Amino acid sequence: MNNLWNNIFTFRKKKTNEIDTILLNIPIFQDLSNNELKTIKRILHQREYKKNEVIFSQGDIGLGMYIIVRGTVEIVCNPGRHILAELHDGDFFGELALLDESPRSATAITTMPGELLCFFKPDLLDLINRNPKLGGKILFKLAWTIGERLKTTNEQIRKLCFEKKDNG
Amino acid sequence: MPDNTNRLIKIVLLVIVAALFILFLVAISDIVKLFIIAALLAYVLEPFASFLESRGMSRTAATISIFLLLLIVAGMSYLIFLPLLSEEIRTLKGGFSSENAELIISRLENFIVSNVSFLGIKDLNLLSRIHATTAKIGDWMVMHVLDAASVIVSIILIPFITFFLMKDGRQFKKEFISIVPNKYFEFSLYLLHKINIQVGNFLRGQVLDATIVGILATCAMWLLGVKYFFIIGIFAGIANLVPYFGPLTGAIIAVIVSILQTGSFNLALYVICAFILIKLIDDTIILPVVMSKSVHISPLTVLLAIMIGGKLFGIFGMVLSVPVTSFIKVVMHEIIMNYRRYREA
Repeated sequence: MNNLWNNIFTFRKKKTNEIDTILLNIPIFQDLSNNELKTIKRILHQREYKKNEVIFSQGDIGLGMYIIVRGTVEIVCNPGRHILAELHDGDFFGELALLDESPRSATAITTMPGELLCFFKPDLLDLINRNPKLGGKILFKLAWTIGERLKTTNEQIRKLCFEKKDNG
Repeated sequence: MPDNTNRLIKIVLLVIVAALFILFLVAISDIVKLFIIAALLAYVLEPFASFLESRGMSRTAATISIFLLLLIVAGMSYLIFLPLLSEEIRTLKGGFSSENAELIISRLENFIVSNVSFLGIKDLNLLSRIHATTAKIGDWMVMHVLDAASVIVSIILIPFITFFLMKDGRQFKKEFISIVPNKYFEFSLYLLHKINIQVGNFLRGQVLDATIVGILATCAMWLLGVKYFFIIGIFAGIANLVPYFGPLTGAIIAVIVSILQTGSFNLALYVICAFILIKLIDDTIILPVVMSKSVHISPLTVLLAIMIGGKLFGIFGMVLSVPVTSFIKVVMHEIIMNYRRYREA
């Protein structure tokens, strides 16, 4: 009997540690204390997805970001089902939807069975309301992450412009 | 063709399941009543809990603090208002004893008998009927308001359910969302978020509005010296939840009481003026401030809702029928609007 309990708790601890590690590697949650991380984990939704299951479709209103605990996700853009990115364990996507309700710019599909953590805008707004300090921290890191993405995009555009200039 | 048949079978099954569910709810209406009141209370108290949480309290501590505060307020109200309320109910049970009132009633009875004799009315016994009705109202109030068993059950169960709805509400919501299939998961969460904002604002607005109108009516009736001012005030506040008929019913009862009390129409005129003034204040000042969005329901729907509510849940159902109809309307509106927005985006 004791062994059974030990096994259950070892499994739970392992699972918790795995999720903690994944979350602490995401820039938005990087600087959080243990207690703050616990608060965040309480509002995250954990979902299982089958192979080739659509997580969200291009054009749907975005509600929040997804973090891959296990599995592979393809970000596909219509028309033509052009693959924009393939994401793996520990990657995250859709974080812009935490700030606005604009339509999703691409479709996300799983390419193998997986487990995802979902962090949504209503939960973030509720968190800001009841724990402004933690909410502020998350928003600051979110702004930083989106800023980094913008810098990378600018860099890519700059490169494309130079390439076009060189070719033309 | 088989597709259509399948769809028809699904619709029929859905209707049967819905009907069975409604029948089940009616069968356990007493418990449903408690849950509805507790859920409404939890909705109304939610911003206070969030505020305390933002000041560093845990959810449990915030909920306990709110309940302690409510306990103090309820205790003080009990000490201050219950003697007044029970005295008014006891007087109401005893009926009216004003000689002027009896004179007015017998004059009215004579007028009816002499003018509508073609209907074969000879003896109306209005006075004894009025006495019997007021005594019945008093009995009903003793049974429902002052009855120890029902008060104890309500006092224990409603706060108990409200406490857990407030403390674990987020967890309940998360559990509910976890059973939604992945396909509808994000949309369900989006919809819940939108409904939560709209319905929360609506319910809190309604309760605040009813409270202010109730206080204004109580003060006005007290200042005018109307008997049973406390019961009339409470009734006017609760009745205000029902559009069109609510404010009118409150005013009619106050007018009848004032006529029976004094035996003349002088006080009744002041009472009418007071209720018109309260209605004006409500429409021009209170409602625009407390209600972020008014819910328009046609008078026919209101009448139908009151009849259905009364049939299913008695007086409680009649009082809560319109707020519940408004709630359903807001929910349906949000579902349709947001589904369109969500899909058209």
